[in-house]
Amino acid sequence: MQDFEDFVALRSQALLRTAYLLCGGDKGAAEDILQDVLMGMYGKWRRIRTSPEAYARTALANAAANRWRRRSRKPEAPLELGAVPTSRGHEQQVVDADSVVRALAELPRKMRAVLVLRFFDDLSEAETARTLGCGIGTVKSQTSRGLARMRELMGEQVLTWN
Amino acid sequence: MELKEALEAATADLDVRPGFVGDVMAGARRRHTRKLLAITAAVALLAGVTTGVALTRSSPETFTAGDVRLTAATAGDLADRTDVIEQALTAWNGKRPVPVTEVSSDAHVFWTANTPDGPAALIAQSVRVKASAEPQTLVGLVHGTEVVDQEVVYRDGREQGIYRIGDGEATYVVLGLGERVFWSVNPVRGPDLRYSRAWQDAEIHDGVAVVRAKPAESPVFLRTTIAPAADDFSRLGERISPRQEIEQAPPRTGLGWSSVLWATSRQDPGKPGQSQDKLVSEDLRRRGYMDYGHPLVLWEVRAWLPDGRYAVVTETNGDLIGALYQADGTFDRVLPGGPAVRGKPVPVRLVLPDGQGTILADRNALLGPEEREGAWLAPPGTTEVTIWRSGDQVVVPL
Repeated sequence: MQDFEDFVALRSQALLRTAYLLCGGDKGAAEDILQDVLMGMYGKWRRIRTSPEAYARTALANAAANRWRRRSRKPEAPLELGAVPTSRGHEQQVVDADSVVRALAELPRKMRAVLVLRFFDDLSEAETARTLGCGIGTVKSQTSRGLARMRELMGEQVLTWN
Repeated sequence: MELKEALEAATADLDVRPGFVGDVMAGARRRHTRKLLAITAAVALLAGVTTGVALTRSSPETFTAGDVRLTAATAGDLADRTDVIEQALTAWNGKRPVPVTEVSSDAHVFWTANTPDGPAALIAQSVRVKASAEPQTLVGLVHGTEVVDQEVVYRDGREQGIYRIGDGEATYVVLGLGERVFWSVNPVRGPDLRYSRAWQDAEIHDGVAVVRAKPAESPVFLRTTIAPAADDFSRLGERISPRQEIEQAPPRTGLGWSSVLWATSRQDPGKPGQSQDKLVSEDLRRRGYMDYGHPLVLWEVRAWLPDGRYAVVTETNGDLIGALYQADGTFDRVLPGGPAVRGKPVPVRLVLPDGQGTILADRNALLGPEEREGAWLAPPGTTEVTIWRSGDQVVVPL
């Protein structure tokens, strides 16, 4: 299982970042679900070793959604300033980083997952649909509405995407 | 601010806590063992019921994992030094790794010897862990008065059995476990871009090999019965590594991408031949274009070429590398691509042979006259490419 260990060592940081965004900026929850997902992958490694990243993303999205359900549809934990990783660089970047995660936390979980997978993990629409187990049309509509909502939530801060 | 840029800024300093990888591995093994035990228990219960035998739980009075090392005569050139053994046991008894819930009193030094870094001792002890109803064996190395590492060895589980003392010029203490131990440092990359490693058969005395090597020289250890060839990089399953090296975060090199981009229209099948779902980096590793220490790269740019062949670009250890395949999946050749420089406009530029064009890729841009997302197969002779990023148009000379 050396290659599983290699995968965990190599990809944990990137997957934690995805999980952090999927959990709306709750780092503790992100680390919990990532650890749970990776531990679950160990017993399935022979089956999933050809595309472990894709499996992990799907499992993280599901775990984040299930966590949300378990919380009885309460909003995500409020993002404490201390929980936001401070970005290196000037003040404005810190403000932007803070507000984008806050805005993301306000979105419905599927809409948030679509934006995270499309714009953070750079998945195509088809790959995002496969990961979330929905249709491409759903991805398109959730993307469009999610981006519009992000613009509303981000207030005066300019947010663009290509 | 672009959304992607904002999301990346928001997560830029996020990293897993120290020891996360070890926790995952320990937890994963616990969970897997628990699952196997549950299945075994269910089968045993079913068998008991069907044969009419009432199962009663007996509480063993003894607490031993049954590992032969627990009672073996102490080996090594310091085996008769009771002071060294007592010192090692004192250090050992002061430390208990996280998964262990209960220890037996049978801690036993089964090997102790002088190493280039001083006296060291290998110890085995029966322990109980949360994940298993049965006692398991805790094995580890003590160097002087310091416990270098401890490993819970599950019955029928794989034992790493390798310990590293020191950082600059290190001593590796490796358990043979009935097999041979091969080791190698300083991989060599030939003009054909393939790596090779000169392997040494470690001398094993009393079941233990002591090897001196510099971690900076990329040492690799294999525990196996068959000697590896110089160009054989497929023995991942036989590789053993000390915990420091397993948990060491790989250096951040290259583009840091993690997705598949298509420079031409996507076609089905997505790849030629039998390797439909595999990343090309796995194939390149098998063919010797990647060394053991190189991280698995999870991005590639794919293109079906005008002459029917298939090309793919990825990176190995910070360098771009292309691979060309025939339409039936037969490997054709590799194509060197130069350094993978993060932040450079259109960082992926690979000129294909036989006038098949140039693969260009920039994950966050639209490229070429068709404004393709992320990647474009430019026709031969293309000297510049127009890219759009965040609404801005830039012409990048090639």
